[in-house]
Amino acid sequence: METQNNIELLEAARALVTALEADDEQQAQIHLANLTLAQESELFHDVGTLTRELHQSLSNFNVDSRLVDLAEHDIPDTRERLNYVITTTEEAAHKTLELIDNTLPLSDSLKLTAQNIEESWHRFRMREMGVDEFRSLSEEIESYLPNVKKHSEQIHENLLEMTQAQGFQDLTGQVIRQVISLVGEVEDKLVGLVKIAGKHQTKRPKDGNEVDLIKAEGPQINKDKPNVVNNQDEVDDLLSSLGF
Amino acid sequence: MKILIVDDFSTMRRIIKNLLRDLGFNNTTEADDGLTALPILKAGGIDFLVTDWNMPGMQGIDLLKTVRADETLSSMPVLMVTAETKREQIIEAAQAGVNGYIVKPFTAATLKDKIDKIFERIDAS
Repeated sequence: METQNNIELLEAARALVTALEADDEQQAQIHLANLTLAQESELFHDVGTLTRELHQSLSNFNVDSRLVDLAEHDIPDTRERLNYVITTTEEAAHKTLELIDNTLPLSDSLKLTAQNIEESWHRFRMREMGVDEFRSLSEEIESYLPNVKKHSEQIHENLLEMTQAQGFQDLTGQVIRQVISLVGEVEDKLVGLVKIAGKHQTKRPKDGNEVDLIKAEGPQINKDKPNVVNNQDEVDDLLSSLGF
Repeated sequence: MKILIVDDFSTMRRIIKNLLRDLGFNNTTEADDGLTALPILKAGGIDFLVTDWNMPGMQGIDLLKTVRADETLSSMPVLMVTAETKREQIIEAAQAGVNGYIVKPFTAATLKDKIDKIFERIDAS
């Protein structure tokens, strides 16, 4: 194709030279026009190629319309889901703490009364107790026993409710699993984008900004980091090495 | 003995409050970050400060530094209860004058142990 073009161009050029040498202005004009036309058609061909490439690139981006979807829909949705995790875990923790608050006085009162009765009972067995005192001990035992039943029932019910309150783990676990898969998807797409955009990019030197070593980061998930302590003992060791 | 508990999570404040109550410290009050804690501290009457590190507004480490720099508060015992576990952070807290450093999740026994140690040191000095 290209050779054919060249032959045609060469022929047109020769014809132009011949016409110019013959001083045939009319023929020269015609051959010049032919030459220009050939040039233009090559230009059109190049523009065509460029257009095709551009179209291809745009189509590639279209394949990644999922990215737009992720940014417009999935990410805000994820924010909501994570807020749901915070709210749900908070509610469950408060519910459990509330039930503990209700249960502790019940067990405390059972323990206290049992302790009193035990002391009195011991004195009774040692024959150190008068009749009146024994009568009041009997009354105490009589009112204590139904209380044991009532409090135990309440404690049992509270424990069951605490068990139910742990249902949040399943719900939040599902949400977090979805978030993990979304993050994975975003990561893949970003890697794809970096591959497309990064072809002609040279490595940029790292910013000279210093890392803030004491910036709050929350719980450390990766316990193998060398500058992270793993438990209270290691904290204590570190502090004592500092003279604490 | 009045204790101020500073943490942005209400559940953690509640847990600390309940554990302290179990240790016999019934008089506690709460704040959700350094900025809300400071006016309470400055108003007086607080004898002991328990604070988290990572909070919006003013972080625990800055609260600690502010307390140490304030003439009326500088001798306040400060116990940090936090999920921050980098060596640099613990060293920073120690240098800023923290009296105890507990990492989350923690046990009631650890809380008791650290509070006892803080009072032992205060009594000794």
